[in-house]
Amino acid sequence: MVFSSWRPIKQAMERAGFMKFWIFIPLIFLTLFFPFFLSQYWLHVMIISLFYVMMASSWNLIAGYTGQISFAHAAFAGVGAYVSGMLAVNMGIPAWLGILIGTSIAGLLGLGLGYLCIRMGGIYLSLTTLGFSEILRIIITNEDRWTRGTMGLQIPGFFIEYSKMSYYFLFLIVSVFFLWVIYRLIHSEMGLSFRAVLNDELAASSSGIDTIRVRILAFTISSAMAGMAGGLYGHYLMLITPDIPSLGQMFLVLAMAVIGGMGSFIGPILGAFILEILSEYIRIYGEYHVLLFGLVALGMARFAPEGIMGLLEKRWRLRKIS
Amino acid sequence: MAEFLMYLTNGLVMGVINAISAIGVSLVVGIMRVINFAHGELYIFAGYFSYHLSLTFGLSPILAMPLSVIFVFLMGILMERFLIRPTYGDEMYSLIITFVLSIILQNIALLIFGPYPNKPPTLISGATSLFGLFHYGNQRLLSFIISIAILLSVFYLIKRTWFGKSVRAISQDREMASLMGIDHLKINMLSFGLGAALAGAAGVIIAPIFPVTPTGSSAISLTAFVVVVLGGMGSLKGCVVGGLILGILENLGAAYISTMYRHIFGFIILILVLVFRPWGLFGQRT
Repeated sequence: MVFSSWRPIKQAMERAGFMKFWIFIPLIFLTLFFPFFLSQYWLHVMIISLFYVMMASSWNLIAGYTGQISFAHAAFAGVGAYVSGMLAVNMGIPAWLGILIGTSIAGLLGLGLGYLCIRMGGIYLSLTTLGFSEILRIIITNEDRWTRGTMGLQIPGFFIEYSKMSYYFLFLIVSVFFLWVIYRLIHSEMGLSFRAVLNDELAASSSGIDTIRVRILAFTISSAMAGMAGGLYGHYLMLITPDIPSLGQMFLVLAMAVIGGMGSFIGPILGAFILEILSEYIRIYGEYHVLLFGLVALGMARFAPEGIMGLLEKRWRLRKIS
Repeated sequence: MAEFLMYLTNGLVMGVINAISAIGVSLVVGIMRVINFAHGELYIFAGYFSYHLSLTFGLSPILAMPLSVIFVFLMGILMERFLIRPTYGDEMYSLIITFVLSIILQNIALLIFGPYPNKPPTLISGATSLFGLFHYGNQRLLSFIISIAILLSVFYLIKRTWFGKSVRAISQDREMASLMGIDHLKINMLSFGLGAALAGAAGVIIAPIFPVTPTGSSAISLTAFVVVVLGGMGSLKGCVVGGLILGILENLGAAYISTMYRHIFGFIILILVLVFRPWGLFGQRT
């Protein structure tokens, strides 16, 4: 009875977006001060997790919100990493500029592939991005004069002085920036048309939304984000290999989004942290962890297509009703 | 000249095998609007099955080959029944599920069969002189004949039988076909199984010539997809023509330009098709 009188106030705050804001405050403290208590090893895990947050969230922008499955997200990260890395090694271009160039090239490639495929429908985009991903891997592996193939290319770091703490904050800032852009996009008028396209393409196009243009735009932004994430990742690892643009990496990003919850803002963030931290624990079992993640992702896609966030939301809604 | 003719013959042999594998994809796309990303893995599994049935269990290759295809057919039936059927009408989830499945199957293949290429025994040995210009392996010639036989039976199945009629009816208009009393669930399951079986057939035919490896599967899927887009989604004739074109181009390209970039020719063709004729050679323009 007492609590029921709170409901109107709570609803008003929720409507104004306050509840979400309050949740963020402890989170901000946690992300800012928590790393100072972490060992170098766990700091590394956090940095890698943030990379996956960028990847899974930007993949979710295209897959979760417009329903187009791209298999080239890891490949675009590879484009970012290799463009920036090779520019730094061969021409001495500073990392920040190289990453920006890599990001633009990834975005342009995304625009080109999107323009060619999206008008033909979702299946074509999936096929062509899969092909692009394979081809990029073949080129990087074979052109070892430039890329050092599977040996990996050693590239300079982002900072002159190596410190994991600076990388942590760099990755944190870029992740938050990505999340802010994605949040603004899906809550803007364009986001409305994203969702309209997802729910009913015919209705959306007949109510005057240019469905193809919206999808191409989302795909371009998402690909450019992958390029930037890959560039940063490369300059953090300082050794780039064809594993970055591999389908195995692509699978990991997809599994994070699917397990966390596609089409939800929090889902891919949650999925990225859970899977990356988990894979640190089960790393001793070698390649089995891919198989395990595969089985979990398959089970999720089959029985809980909205992922962990979908399950949580369902429980939350049930409690509200009862 | 003899050299060129030999590469051309290689291309023809690869072309008909490509066609078998691509028809497996095209059939499923035509009926269910589902692309099976685990297609290449089914192909690989069939190759390994035939290796182990004939070398580990001592079966004759003549028995091992059809048996492997039957196993893969059953895998396809199970996949459709338990994983694909619940996603009907949701194109996105069928793409995600078959992609995840391809990763799982690839890892299972690595686990069970190991990373090394395994070559099942050949059916016949020796070589025949072709046109008096060059000697060509009998196994390859036999593979070519078997492939042609399979292609002819598939065409007969689709064009002349009740099953084929139902398949064509569903790919033209699913609702109307159901109203006419066609059990589309059964047809879907059988065609997905048939698609898997065709991947398997291509796998067992190729394995004695080029041994299969678990990591080669995505390139195999990709070849089939390029052929399907080139020929036109859902067109069986397109698969045969597209398969031959790709087989010949890849072999000539590998011989005269670069072996490493064999698969790049396929991707270039894919992009050219998307730019100039996105509905493919025999597809319907919508």
